[in-house]
Amino acid sequence: MTATSTLESQPVASTSSQQSLYEASTQYRHWRFSPKQLVDMRYALNSDAVSAIRNAFENDSPGSSASVAFLSAQEEYLLVKLYVGKVSQLCAHFRFPEEVEATAVTYLKRFYLKNTVMDWHPKNVMLTALFLATKTTNHPISLESYASHIPKTAPSDVLDLEFLVAQSLGFDFAVWHPHRSLWGIWLDIQTLPDVSLGDLQTAYEAATKHVRAARLTDAEFIYTPSQIALACFSLASPTLASAWARAKFPSLPHPPVADVLGSIEAMILREGSPPDVEAVREVDRRLRLCKNPEKIVGSNAYNKKLQEKEKKAEEKRIRKAEAARIAMEEGDPFGNELAKKAVEELDDDDDDD
Amino acid sequence: MDAVEKANAERQRRWSKDQKIGEGTYAVVYRGRELATGRKVAIKKIKVGQFKDGLDMSAIREVKFLRELKHQNVIELLDVFSSKKNLNLVLEFLDTDLELVIKDRSLVFLPADIKSWMAMTFRGLEFCHRNFILHRDLKPNNLLIASDGQLKIADFGLARDFADPGYKMTCQVITRWYRPPELLWGCRYYSTAVDIWSVGCIFAELMLRTPYLPGETDMDQLKTIFRALGTPTETDWPGHTKLPDYVPVGQFPKTPLRELFTAASTDCLNLLSQCLIYDPKRRISAKDALSHPYFFALPYPSHPSKLPKPAKKDVPLEEMDGNVEMASSGPGVKANPPNKLKRKHSSEDLSSRPVARRLDFSK
Repeated sequence: MTATSTLESQPVASTSSQQSLYEASTQYRHWRFSPKQLVDMRYALNSDAVSAIRNAFENDSPGSSASVAFLSAQEEYLLVKLYVGKVSQLCAHFRFPEEVEATAVTYLKRFYLKNTVMDWHPKNVMLTALFLATKTTNHPISLESYASHIPKTAPSDVLDLEFLVAQSLGFDFAVWHPHRSLWGIWLDIQTLPDVSLGDLQTAYEAATKHVRAARLTDAEFIYTPSQIALACFSLASPTLASAWARAKFPSLPHPPVADVLGSIEAMILREGSPPDVEAVREVDRRLRLCKNPEKIVGSNAYNKKLQEKEKKAEEKRIRKAEAARIAMEEGDPFGNELAKKAVEELDDDDDDD
Repeated sequence: MDAVEKANAERQRRWSKDQKIGEGTYAVVYRGRELATGRKVAIKKIKVGQFKDGLDMSAIREVKFLRELKHQNVIELLDVFSSKKNLNLVLEFLDTDLELVIKDRSLVFLPADIKSWMAMTFRGLEFCHRNFILHRDLKPNNLLIASDGQLKIADFGLARDFADPGYKMTCQVITRWYRPPELLWGCRYYSTAVDIWSVGCIFAELMLRTPYLPGETDMDQLKTIFRALGTPTETDWPGHTKLPDYVPVGQFPKTPLRELFTAASTDCLNLLSQCLIYDPKRRISAKDALSHPYFFALPYPSHPSKLPKPAKKDVPLEEMDGNVEMASSGPGVKANPPNKLKRKHSSEDLSSRPVARRLDFSK
């Protein structure tokens, strides 16, 4: 896997001008994979999730997991894809700029490279991802007005998952999008000789549709934004796309980027349409039965987990109070070595404000 | 525990918070260390729970940009983790900031020292601009100084990507004394030139050892600028009278910079004047500034390790310096006149000096 969640384990980014800005981005460093890596990651994530949830069922009542049909990685992927499509509908409703929509889609897809739909339903995660995207792209709206436009949604439904989403993204908020690259290509092509602006406009509009279709695929995890953009342009007008590529690499007989276009175009045509709603509905039906019980508010397993957490917090408070008391009794408000250490250990926590 | 939570907990365990060194409305700053290496760090804990709209914009901006920027002259974000409803940014620990250096009357600046600080500022800023990022709050106390003398641009709480043509931006950015005239007149479409104006003001401040254009109100700021540099004419700055909040603020004559900056070299004044050109389109870019003759003329810039620094006190007090300021970054303090918060912190921290002594000796 090339993606890591900590900053230090990455190669130190060189600041030399040789490195492209894109290669220094978190998108390149943390969110680029080979097709095989993607399959393996999703498979591993799914099987870990299934065994964890199976345990949760068994803890709750032994034998209860035997009859549960858990979702497969492929089924999880289908469900996420359905909600990727729903982000667009929501954005159209709010009239958010394309930047917001594209960013929210990326957040949602990245989230499910780290989490399973059996823990967190994409319906909820989608709302949080979109709300977060409005802020990270500088188009903030108030939570209240956001939630009020969405049926059956309270502000807390959106906010409760915000930390989880931000964490799952590894706090990598900046995203580079193909639609921006496409815009650049469109501007570039206008400077080429003998281009009919009418043809260009038609091609640009068709290419924009392909860019939107590409959002439903894994293209952004495998290719660069500019490769995807050029592939979309090529789908719309192979002539203009290759004229642009030749102009970019005037000294080469064959522009190197041409080699990847075919597979991106094929991916967009193959996977760039919304999933069959009936098939996904069936997945969603089964999801109701295999959801992680520890994540369902009010369930036995949920309450049990909550109690454990509270108990731990209570123990910690007691230890901390005890440490402080010992320190006071010693007559030194800063405590002796031992007491200080105890306080320090507990202090990485946040009851101190 | 979920994989994501687990990863977060693991990250959290790598760092320890040792001592609170500053507190602002939205954040608390701790001195801390990386447990594995003992490396000193600053941990900025942003209290998120109190925001009704969740993670606030200034925290998001800071994280978003610092995650992407790695440069010798930009503060390094080492890690991010959350604890309950708080966001923790682990930043490299920096000893002091340029404001404290400027104010330390016991320090003497050589022309080569000023050149060195300016070169580092322009290098860091060129990198931000090359990455399509506007800082929008440059001022001496956001330029932090590492123990090896390297200057680092910090506090990206007001930063943003360049807007696309046709998208408005807010003009309520940049601390007043460092704010360019186009923003004071309400310009909503602006560019990297706003940061360059701030650098020009910092440049002048390094020579004068006192803020160059300390206006008392936004209106007075324009007057202060024109008193120093002359009222712009239509030739100086075509179209400025059409800006949204344009008001005439009186006619002041141009005085040559030489009259105030008597000891500066010609190259030096040329670069300064190019940073303070009224017309944002003609103001010098960070990239061009780096190849300005000033940086290639004698004396060459001082080596960072040779730059003047406030003396270490008897008690290790470095925790009082630069990073205290970071606590005050938050939406509540944007575009305030400088110093207010920092001064407050310093005096508050006086009472905690014995603590610092105690903790340091007991290690």
